[in-house]
Amino acid sequence: MIEFKEVSKTYPGSEEPVVKDLSFEIPEGEICVLVGPSGCGKTTTMRMVNRLVEITSGDIEIEGESIAAKSATELRRKIGYAIQGIGLFPHRTIAENVATVPKLLDWSKDRTRERVDELLELVGLDAGQYRGRYPAELSGGQQQRVGVARAMAADPPIMLMDEPFGAVDPITRTRLQEEFLNIQQNIKKTIVFVTHDIDEAIKMGDRIAILQQGGVLAQYDTPARILSEPATDFVASFVGTDRVLKNLSLTRVKDVRLEPLDGAGNGLPRISENLSLKDALSELIGSGTDRGVVYPDESPNGNDARGVITLDGIRKMSRGVAGE
Amino acid sequence: MNNGFAIEEEGQPFIDWAWILRHFWGDGGIVDAFFQHLYLSLVPVAVALAISLPVGIFVHRKRWLYAPTTALTGVLYTIPSLAFFVMLIPIMGTGQRPVLVALTAYSLLILIRNTVTGLDSVPEETKDAARGMGLTNRQILLGVEIPLALPVIVAGIRIATVTVVGIASIADFIGAGGLGDLIFDGIGRQFATPIIVGGGLVALIAICADLGLYRIEGWLRPWARRAGKAA
Repeated sequence: MIEFKEVSKTYPGSEEPVVKDLSFEIPEGEICVLVGPSGCGKTTTMRMVNRLVEITSGDIEIEGESIAAKSATELRRKIGYAIQGIGLFPHRTIAENVATVPKLLDWSKDRTRERVDELLELVGLDAGQYRGRYPAELSGGQQQRVGVARAMAADPPIMLMDEPFGAVDPITRTRLQEEFLNIQQNIKKTIVFVTHDIDEAIKMGDRIAILQQGGVLAQYDTPARILSEPATDFVASFVGTDRVLKNLSLTRVKDVRLEPLDGAGNGLPRISENLSLKDALSELIGSGTDRGVVYPDESPNGNDARGVITLDGIRKMSRGVAGE
Repeated sequence: MNNGFAIEEEGQPFIDWAWILRHFWGDGGIVDAFFQHLYLSLVPVAVALAISLPVGIFVHRKRWLYAPTTALTGVLYTIPSLAFFVMLIPIMGTGQRPVLVALTAYSLLILIRNTVTGLDSVPEETKDAARGMGLTNRQILLGVEIPLALPVIVAGIRIATVTVVGIASIADFIGAGGLGDLIFDGIGRQFATPIIVGGGLVALIAICADLGLYRIEGWLRPWARRAGKAA
């Protein structure tokens, strides 16, 4: 668990704090996304956790221990760090890059090599093929995978990620996000994730901290609650006028109550139960009907329909969202 | 026809091989001058490098020192070499010492500037990632900054060496010897052979140093070489 206790940061020579009286907790094993417009202090907030930025007042505790208790380098070796520019060492091979922290921690060669190969496979890179290459020989997406693998190398319980999927095209980004969420399901790290993109925040976050100018915490909540109950006008405008749709994108068809299928459902569109409500809505509107038959992914042409989803049903689901 | 005959009679052959053989070994011979020249050019570069690395690292850290440092070394660099040698004679007398000092001063500007430029070229996010992963300042300097700056520093050594090898040719003016000895001898006696031998060897040293250091530069960045191949 990471606990921010009235944390403030004012840079020398400046009157205005960049982060002001920040207090919140990040539960173990969750992804907390810090999001906000540029200049809101989100990156500063993240960098205070591993003391790349020193706190002016207040304290941050990790597992109940102040981050000031140990030397900064000792602290940092136990916190994974992945950044937008990736910052791979251009003069070191992929294996050497991933092995950076294990080497600092004096791991044996065998243990390090095993771990490096395991991590490269985990992030979807063939170890035999990529181990000996230099970063410049990899594509942007592959470099970001290596950046994430390097951050996880010594299996730190906490990871800091500053727009780690920022420098790639949208398609690659979506894939990296999904792969990382899959990995996170198994590794359950406590993650501080910085982004300026509210959609990424909603997708990646178990909790979202929305910061506004001056480093003030506007709202700290789950994505669903931020979308359905924005605490202030600033939050409402920051999440956007399409927040109802965004909220629908958080729920899958299989997680809602469907109406029973009466009759064969002939002529109705077939909808996979793994689609989000937003995608299901799009399918219904696109096919010009107000009902669709829901099937499991495994047998989309079989006869094991799960039920029927209707425009009305989706509308009811979104009511809570819109706060009507 | 007459003219051609006359020139042949009063001139010497283009290269007098007998002279070369007679003056090959021995005190003040070609081989002797060659090694003197190497000494006069390599020692200043080595000394300047030993000074420039720590100074460059320090200046890179303390940014405000950069302008005064390059201004000072820049002034040293603009002093014409012969004037520089002569200026130092009252302090150090004639011979090799003033030459070594002046050539070291010339190398300093190039090497300090390239050291700082090399360190500047290390990407900010690379250093940030290194710090964020818990490398100490010393580990970042030795393991990240210097290895990444090294190709640029070696490029500086290349320029300094070629420059100094050339300037060392006039060192004999104040009695420091080197291949300039042969060249001035030839000029004084209007005798082409020592000029060609001396000048040719100076060029040979400069070209060999340039190519050799160029190879080292490439060898120091295997990542760029391989990426080039892959592209």
